[in-house]
Amino acid sequence: MNKKENNHVVMAQGIVKEYREDKVPVKALRGIDLTIDEGEFTAIVGPSGSGKTTFLNVISGLDDATGGSVRLSGKLLSEMSGKELSDFRRDNIGFIFQSNNLIPVLTVEENVEYVMLLQGVPKKERHERVKKILADLGLEDMADRRPNRLSGGQQQRAGVARAMVSKPALVLADEPTASLDSEAAESLMEIMRELNEKSKITFIFSTHDQRVMKKARRLIVLKDGKVDRDEVKG
Amino acid sequence: MMFKIALRNIFRRKRRSIITMLTMFVGFVLAAISIGWSDGTYNNIIDSFTRNRLGHIQIHSQGYLDKPSLYKNIENYDSLRNVIADIAGVEFTTPRLFASGLASLNDKSAGVRIIGVDPEIESRATHLDRKVAEGRYFSAQPSNKALLGRGLAKILKASVGDTIVIISQAADGSIANDLYAVFGIVESGDKMEDRASFYLHLEDAQQLLVLQNRIHEIAVICDNLADVPQTSAGIEEALNDSGLDVATWKEFAKSFYRAMRADKEGMWIMLVVILIMVAVGVLNTVLMSVLERTHEYGVLRALGTAPGQVFRLVIIEVLIIAVAGVIIGCGLSYLINDALSAHGVPLPETFTYGGVEFKRMYTEVNLRSFYIPALSVVVSAFLVSIFPAVKAARIPPAQAMRSV
Repeated sequence: MNKKENNHVVMAQGIVKEYREDKVPVKALRGIDLTIDEGEFTAIVGPSGSGKTTFLNVISGLDDATGGSVRLSGKLLSEMSGKELSDFRRDNIGFIFQSNNLIPVLTVEENVEYVMLLQGVPKKERHERVKKILADLGLEDMADRRPNRLSGGQQQRAGVARAMVSKPALVLADEPTASLDSEAAESLMEIMRELNEKSKITFIFSTHDQRVMKKARRLIVLKDGKVDRDEVKG
Repeated sequence: MMFKIALRNIFRRKRRSIITMLTMFVGFVLAAISIGWSDGTYNNIIDSFTRNRLGHIQIHSQGYLDKPSLYKNIENYDSLRNVIADIAGVEFTTPRLFASGLASLNDKSAGVRIIGVDPEIESRATHLDRKVAEGRYFSAQPSNKALLGRGLAKILKASVGDTIVIISQAADGSIANDLYAVFGIVESGDKMEDRASFYLHLEDAQQLLVLQNRIHEIAVICDNLADVPQTSAGIEEALNDSGLDVATWKEFAKSFYRAMRADKEGMWIMLVVILIMVAVGVLNTVLMSVLERTHEYGVLRALGTAPGQVFRLVIIEVLIIAVAGVIIGCGLSYLINDALSAHGVPLPETFTYGGVEFKRMYTEVNLRSFYIPALSVVVSAFLVSIFPAVKAARIPPAQAMRSV
């Protein structure tokens, strides 16, 4: 990912997202202006329905904004075709979802390898990187297992491994700890924080878990689709 | 990787995959048997019609087929026969002489078609001897004996041993007339033809019509119906005579050929019905599958899988099932078609088509009874999968991941 001037990885200007539910327009985002720089470990927080997931979807190009613009590393998402967006996500963004984020017919190893396959990384390098990250996340013994044979925490760690293994510039995590018990949640946040510090990867995650919020260095609070507070911890 | 995911998805929902495959398999088998049956039946009818009566190929003097005439005849049959016999695919050649005449017995008379045949060759080529229902077949030497079609015998109230007077026009312009003893009654299977057929020994006919050593037609029986066009081209090239017309059964039996083609169209209608059945079944299961896996497609798209790759994933899955259905279908279809081609199926009632009586029908094992259903099943499965595949590829990732 090319770095934009001022190291802005994400630059969102006046983002509006409007859904239609039973023909009734619902505004999920009401004009969000934000910049997130390289290496940040940022939490998007707020109550349910505040627009956290929608915001992550819009800044990653998984969903279109109704208004405003999103630039990722200087590139305007609205100018990209579906294929270009896919390629951009593949090469630059790692995703960690709340749950059900692994491909059920692939083993842990194959799931982690998947994005690198799309990227065309040579087989030997793929295997080395998969092996290393699974070891780093304590999943080396689970490599041959299918997701349905993993616990929730193991599945999330496998999701983290998949998001990180391709060395993306930006990792977006939507409520990564929501389906985990407190111990697993703590462990996952430690892993993410460590990867952020070691690799300088930008992390943006949504959460409403107080323990997770404590780990973040920047806290963006959304309320009714708007930025209510934007705090950087010392 | 897409192939791996597709293959594993098939095994993931075994029951659905088996139902989808069974739909394709049953469609394939039905189509393969239909084509084998259709080809077997029609080739059987065509071969019987041509082999037992008309011949697969006929050679006439130029213009005879369009406007038959006593004077449009062939003189050098013996030398032509030797040339034709050397052509690959030729089994028999048999000479024939035709004329119209009036037959009388006591106070009855009827218009007849005089057919002069070489008894020995005709019996080998078209088995005319086996069609003699009463009396006896010709002897090798000409002896003013005649064979009458069953219908003609009825009209004239003639029976074996009666003497019939024939009047016709001879080639020299004189009135041809002679007496012939009824030696046998022929049932060719074609009642219309039997109402006028008056068979004579070729030499007797030539003498009556003053056409010594001349004939009107050389009927050629081929080894194999499928090779008739090549054999016909070979004969035409070997004869190299612009004064002779070489025609295949499709040309000299046009109405029969058209009737056969029209009947064969029915096979395509059946094939379309079978394919619609397959298509509806496949569309239903693939749509269900896509709907069920919407979340997964969303995850794949979010990870950077291009829309085209998701499209391919759905298509590959369907094609794997289709190919498996076709392969298994090939095995069963072959066994069924092979058994039916060897033993046939007895008909509840015999029927006559083109003057030939059929008691048992046979299928045919041929390449097209495999590749037409195979292509049809695979292509129709592919076509009906396009819509669900496009749906899976185009769904916005965020929306897809919201579905459970």
